[in-house]
Amino acid sequence: MSGLKFIQKMQELFGLSPESAESTKKKAVKELVKKLKLRHILLKQELKNETDLIKREALHDSIQIIKKQVKKGKEIVDD
Amino acid sequence: MKRLSLFIVIIALSFTFVYNQNLLSIAAGVAIFLFGMKNLEEGFRFFVGGLLDKFLKKITDSLYKSILFGTVITTLMQSSGLAAVIAISFISAGLISVAQGIGIILGGNIGTTTGAWLIAGLGLKISIATYALPMLVFGMLFIFQESKRLKGIGYALAGLGFSFLGIAYMKEGFDAFKATIDLTQYAADGYTGILLFAIIGAVMTIVMQSSHASLVLILTALSASQITYENAIALTIGANIGTTITAILGALGAGDEGKKLATAHFLINTLTGLILIGFVPHFIHFIDHTAPFFGIAEQDYTLKLALYHTYFNLFCVLLFAPLVHHLVSLLNYFFQPKITAENAIDDVLYISDVALDFPDTAQATLLKETKHLYNNVVDIIAQGLSVTKEDITSGMEIEDILKRRDQALHVNMDAYYERRIKEIYGKIITFAIVAQGKFSDVTTQQFIPIKNATIGIVEAFKAAKHMQKNMLRYLESDNEYIKNEYNHIRKTLIKHLRTIQMIFNTSEEDVAILLLSKLQLDAQNYDIAANKSLDNLIRTNKITYTMATSLMNDTSYAYTIASELSKVAHTLFVHATSESTEGREALILNEAEISDLTHASSPRSTS
Repeated sequence: MSGLKFIQKMQELFGLSPESAESTKKKAVKELVKKLKLRHILLKQELKNETDLIKREALHDSIQIIKKQVKKGKEIVDD
Repeated sequence: MKRLSLFIVIIALSFTFVYNQNLLSIAAGVAIFLFGMKNLEEGFRFFVGGLLDKFLKKITDSLYKSILFGTVITTLMQSSGLAAVIAISFISAGLISVAQGIGIILGGNIGTTTGAWLIAGLGLKISIATYALPMLVFGMLFIFQESKRLKGIGYALAGLGFSFLGIAYMKEGFDAFKATIDLTQYAADGYTGILLFAIIGAVMTIVMQSSHASLVLILTALSASQITYENAIALTIGANIGTTITAILGALGAGDEGKKLATAHFLINTLTGLILIGFVPHFIHFIDHTAPFFGIAEQDYTLKLALYHTYFNLFCVLLFAPLVHHLVSLLNYFFQPKITAENAIDDVLYISDVALDFPDTAQATLLKETKHLYNNVVDIIAQGLSVTKEDITSGMEIEDILKRRDQALHVNMDAYYERRIKEIYGKIITFAIVAQGKFSDVTTQQFIPIKNATIGIVEAFKAAKHMQKNMLRYLESDNEYIKNEYNHIRKTLIKHLRTIQMIFNTSEEDVAILLLSKLQLDAQNYDIAANKSLDNLIRTNKITYTMATSLMNDTSYAYTIASELSKVAHTLFVHATSESTEGREALILNEAEISDLTHASSPRSTS
């Protein structure tokens, strides 16, 4: 293993790899979008079962927000 | 008194130096060595900004990793004192636990043994002054560079150079001393001698605040045969006890957690020292048997002393590592947190001088203290709404809370501000400004939003205070319409505070991001709905002009409370971790994006 490779390996091991700020951000956004998509499915399921009008309205708002967040996240990742 | 002591010491030293030139050489060696150690520390502090902080957080999640970290860092920096300062600073900021801090201290004890080996093995065997001079030249060259990394390397090089030079002076002094006076005539035998020299070793280290400097002095004196091997061992035991002074002094400005660590350091080293004082003759025997395995010659007492130093510290780690959690329990028993009485003046919980040692600890402290202030402000805002903080955190339906708390709660908000907000607010702002001035521009960017969040918290309090007068009046009004409107403000704000609490409590990032956007949507929806309702009430003459003016103002105050606290929740969440800050920030919808949603959704009722 060359010296440079060894340093990179050590940096990876300790989570210190010098990634660019942009790629770190994209990675974090991608991860969050994945979580938000799952949350979207859960909220939709909840909305189906909810009968209370006010709670339905709140769930509807949350779903709209998630949709917008997922769209925004995809734009950042694809950029 | 302090100045008088200093004056006496200066006079005494001056007299000694005139009387004996060799003592001047030894003292100058110690001074140059200490100066070198300070430079070495300074050099490593330039790297602390990012690298060390990340390292520390990643590899101190278990006791054994903490010990390893302490060993490596002390070996690299040749300063157990800096390892202790790092541990105290990180504990005070709540970034690591006391147990992990003790691990770093134990590791530091092992790391410090490498210094003894280096000095005994190389420092006293070769002419290290030859290496010191180029190190000083290159060190100074780097110090004058603009790059912080190069500056750091420069300080570290110059530090090493000065340390080497210091050792050479000490060696020279003791060698010359040998020709005139034989200090071994003052050697003391038996346990009295061991105790006496252990005390001398401890005092010597307390004065110099460096066990490394003491060790160098002991080793050089031993190599010049100015002290006996047995007395040198006793001096080493004393140095290990005396070295705890660095942590004790470092913890003076720290909170209880820092004090716990300093106490642990003192207990660990002192107890090990006291135990091993009783076994010095046995250890000498043991070293005589084991030294040949390490290739140490029978008459090489300096290397034998380095071996003793290693055994001492290994024994210390083996003895205390399994007891760390019991030790933490004992310390928790003695350092119990003070409970602030309801009517007592509340003070900062996390801010201390040691938190300003490193950028990460400063940021973590600022975040925690801001949350402390937030909790106090939420307490009084809740009372201003004639409910309690417990009502907000309870799972009770908001309608039920309002039914239960239908009477206005008269509370002196000004007095509360004086008691539980003003002091903390002032100290947070001062701390943030000092931190901004101390660290680099990149790090400073992290402090500004947190400082602004603190200002936002107090703005929210002011808005709540302005709103309180009318709130008290109209909650007891006979006009049901105005009463309903004020209950609506209460309901909206309780819901808002609950959502913020959920953001602080949740461990799921996506939930927090969703709720932060929802807070903004709710605030905008409330503003629109409240204005519509107000128009309707005025048009239908349900409320008087005075009531309308009050309601208009208080709707605006309620909006200020909601939006300021939303910003606080946003900042505290985004900056809670340094890793995914930008990712989190990017997905929280901004005002314009929320407005799109508000316009897209249908109008709703106000009740």
